Amino acid sequence: MIKVKNLYHSYSNDENYAVDDVSFEISKGEIFGFLGPSGAGKSTTQNILTGLLQLQKGEVEVAGYDVKHIKNKMFNKIGMSFEQSNVYNKMSGLENLEFYGKLFDVDTRNPMELIKMVGLDGKENIKAGKYSKGMKHRLTFARSMINNPELWFLDEPTTGLDPAIASNIKDIIKEENNKGVTIFLTTHNMYIADELCDRVAFIVDGKIRLIDSPKELKLKYGEKLVEVEYLREGKPIKESYSTVVEEEKNQLIKVIKENNIQTMHTKEATLEEIFIKVTGRGLV
Amino acid sequence: MKLWYSFTKELILSSKSWYFYIELGMAIILLLVLLFVVPEDFDSKSEEYMYLDVPQVVKDRYRDNLKDEDLDEESQMVEVEADKRTFQAEFYETDESEIYILDNMEALNAFSSGERVPTVHVRVNEENQIVHTYYLQGYETQKLKNLLLVFHNRKAGYDVIEDYSDNIPVRSLYQNIEPLSDRENVIPVFLTFNGSLMSLFIIAAYIFLDKSEGIIKAYAVTASSVWHYLLSKIGVIIVTSIATSLIITIPIMGLQPNYFAMLLFIITSGFFAASLGLYITSFYKDIIQAFGVLYIVIVIMIMPNISYFTPSWDPDWIKIIPSYVMLQSFKEIISINGNIAYVLVASLGFAVLGLDIFILANHRFKKTLTL
Repeated sequence: MIKVKNLYHSYSNDENYAVDDVSFEISKGEIFGFLGPSGAGKSTTQNILTGLLQLQKGEVEVAGYDVKHIKNKMFNKIGMSFEQSNVYNKMSGLENLEFYGKLFDVDTRNPMELIKMVGLDGKENIKAGKYSKGMKHRLTFARSMINNPELWFLDEPTTGLDPAIASNIKDIIKEENNKGVTIFLTTHNMYIADELCDRVAFIVDGKIRLIDSPKELKLKYGEKLVEVEYLREGKPIKESYSTVVEEEKNQLIKVIKENNIQTMHTKEATLEEIFIKVTGRGLV
Repeated sequence: MKLWYSFTKELILSSKSWYFYIELGMAIILLLVLLFVVPEDFDSKSEEYMYLDVPQVVKDRYRDNLKDEDLDEESQMVEVEADKRTFQAEFYETDESEIYILDNMEALNAFSSGERVPTVHVRVNEENQIVHTYYLQGYETQKLKNLLLVFHNRKAGYDVIEDYSDNIPVRSLYQNIEPLSDRENVIPVFLTFNGSLMSLFIIAAYIFLDKSEGIIKAYAVTASSVWHYLLSKIGVIIVTSIATSLIITIPIMGLQPNYFAMLLFIITSGFFAASLGLYITSFYKDIIQAFGVLYIVIVIMIMPNISYFTPSWDPDWIKIIPSYVMLQSFKEIISINGNIAYVLVASLGFAVLGLDIFILANHRFKKTLTL
């Protein structure tokens, strides 16, 4: 669905690249997470893919279209949810969706259905300018689905939302993905990436440092340990056992059999820990 | 169809904004100014105060001459005030002047010293010659002083002046067309600046507002073209310009203007001005950054006003400033027997130029969507 080969971009038109030799491919139906701290080159890459920035150097194919010679038809296939809400403040939520629906050449979704989906029903006739930040964000998110996109660009889709609504948004993303929609997710939130993405790319200083599935990354970079907490003679004991070394595996079995286990979990590395380990950089 | 949707959406958004009503309100204020503040014709007659300190027979001769030139060939006795005192005066009104013949030297001095206006003391000297003594105020030009000297020394210069004036080629500024009244003459200025040229600044304001809210980016990722968005903005601005221009013109000019030519010219000149505004805004992130360039454009566009109100100052370079062509075109449109061919050529020029600039602006916008 997306093919990027040796992509470069410089805002100063010199060799000071904001995106530096980036290559990746995304298959149909995949959720691809583009992860990195602020200024890493995430938005620049996404802006090039969506035609908001002109392609300077490299090859980019999006939804079957060459981005070098971008055509309006391409936008019938893609949806874009911006991090910063950008709706018409003087129009109601419903009017916003109705208007954008008219700008596509394909069958569009029922605006009211989308309003309900993001929990704005009952507020559809209020001017968007009177919406809270979170409500505007949900309206921007809903708008990006108006044309039933095959390829969906999501830029920080849950930022600024309360946990219940963020969970609702994640469910919508999963649901759309189950229908076959390919998703390009740009975020610095590792938890949402971990939960949703089939594969993630770590980008720092314009370069991709690693691309893999969260599961593989955890296996590769996580410590293969089980942490057990149990009571021995009334006192709490906390110990770790390897799930690889045979002797420690037997000790773990013995502890489980002979003691009253309070807590026990595998010690998986989080994506954030892996990111820091791989890139040597934090995510903020 | 998408262009139409964008246009109607912009029209609805405009009708919900204060700015739209400020423009309409401003047009009404300008109309009221024209109707109640600007006179039909400005009074440009000079006031002259004289004291005829001469024998009665000479006085009568003067009076007879003045009556011949007077508009109703009669004099009026009036009271005039100077230096907080009231004096009697004979009043004559000619095509060029309002002349007051004062009773005595005291009245003349009151006007000269108290009111600071030029006065004339006419007397007879010892050689029975009529002498005119002018009490000037110091601000008169050397040309005027020379003219008075020549005028009162006819023997020395009259023949020369007569020969010279007979050979001066005189070209009427108005050929077949009826000259406009002073009030009507102001209308092209209002139409140019409140109508066509305001488009340049209004579109800048609209675009920067949309840029700050990220609206253009949202539009750019739809299957509609950016030029639809830009043209729909221009369309709304032109509709507003038509409305404000008609508000100003109809109550004063009635059916006299050629309204077809007016609509055509507002559309083409507005399109040109708005495209220029778009092109300028495409280089800047916000209105503060663009203000320097917009200010320079304002100053340049104002300059043809000098030529408009002072037709004798009409250098070639000022004729290439778009507002010069706009002023002249609107003047032709509202005049009886105005030169509509000039208006049509100007409309074509603005349409072609506007289209070129619009294409450039569209190209710039596509490159700077993330600014």
